[in-house]
Amino acid sequence: MSLSAYNGAVARSSTTSDVFNAIAEAQRRDVLDVLITGEKAVGAIVKDLSMSQPQVSKHLRVLRVVGLVTCRAEGRRRLYRLERARLRPLHEWLANYEQAWNDRLDRVDDLLKELQQEGERQ
Amino acid sequence: MTANRHGSAVIEYPNHLDIVLTREFDAPIALVFDVFTKPEHVRKTFAPFGEEVTVCSIDLRVGGDYHIVMVTADGIECSFRGTYLEVEPPTRTVETWHFDGWPDADAVETMDLHETDGVTKLSYRLAFTDQVGRDHMDRVDGLVSSFENAADYLSSLLDPTGTAAR
Repeated sequence: MSLSAYNGAVARSSTTSDVFNAIAEAQRRDVLDVLITGEKAVGAIVKDLSMSQPQVSKHLRVLRVVGLVTCRAEGRRRLYRLERARLRPLHEWLANYEQAWNDRLDRVDDLLKELQQEGERQ
Repeated sequence: MTANRHGSAVIEYPNHLDIVLTREFDAPIALVFDVFTKPEHVRKTFAPFGEEVTVCSIDLRVGGDYHIVMVTADGIECSFRGTYLEVEPPTRTVETWHFDGWPDADAVETMDLHETDGVTKLSYRLAFTDQVGRDHMDRVDGLVSSFENAADYLSSLLDPTGTAAR
């Protein structure tokens, strides 16, 4: 494993930390879920979720700051869109981290079995 | 060797600063404690993916320091060090955690062991003391919800049509 992968495995960069922070809130995950199927206007998001428009706007603002959501104007409407690529570093961080831990704990498991077998032989 | 493996670790992220991990081992608690705290064992298990551990010193007492260095496949040294805050064999240790590749992030790790019918359960928590991150979190809305299956959730967002869909 390269150092960058290991770095990723043990500590989050500020970028992934911000993304993690943004999606650590359940309502913001709901907003992202609604956007999975495609671009939507604020009104459509409000309709899909039992949230007020100011609440939805607040969450969209946080998601835009970290780049998880982008916005474009179409006539008088503003359409919001999920930027999946922004999730990838975080996903990779988690996968690396979990793989590193499981590998280490598999090693512990093997060593424990070895030590117990040695104990039985003596 | 895998006949009695108790599966993969359960890894949870109760908030963006803490990582909590649990896993069970078919071994008595005293042996599991030794494997996590004695240098001759830690040397064999510390590095993920079998990388070489070149330094492994552990002064297992309150106020004692540990220092572990592993070398990655690229030949780069990764140094981990900290100081023991609590040492209660065979059930618990609490120690500071510092990784030289990430000088801004300090953390405290806690290991708790509990044995039931010959099966020892490890509960491990790594808590980052990242005040910048905490300030940021509080500024957003002061609310952090339980966020336990982060990896599954992210998979579902990345691939909504795939088998990982919720």
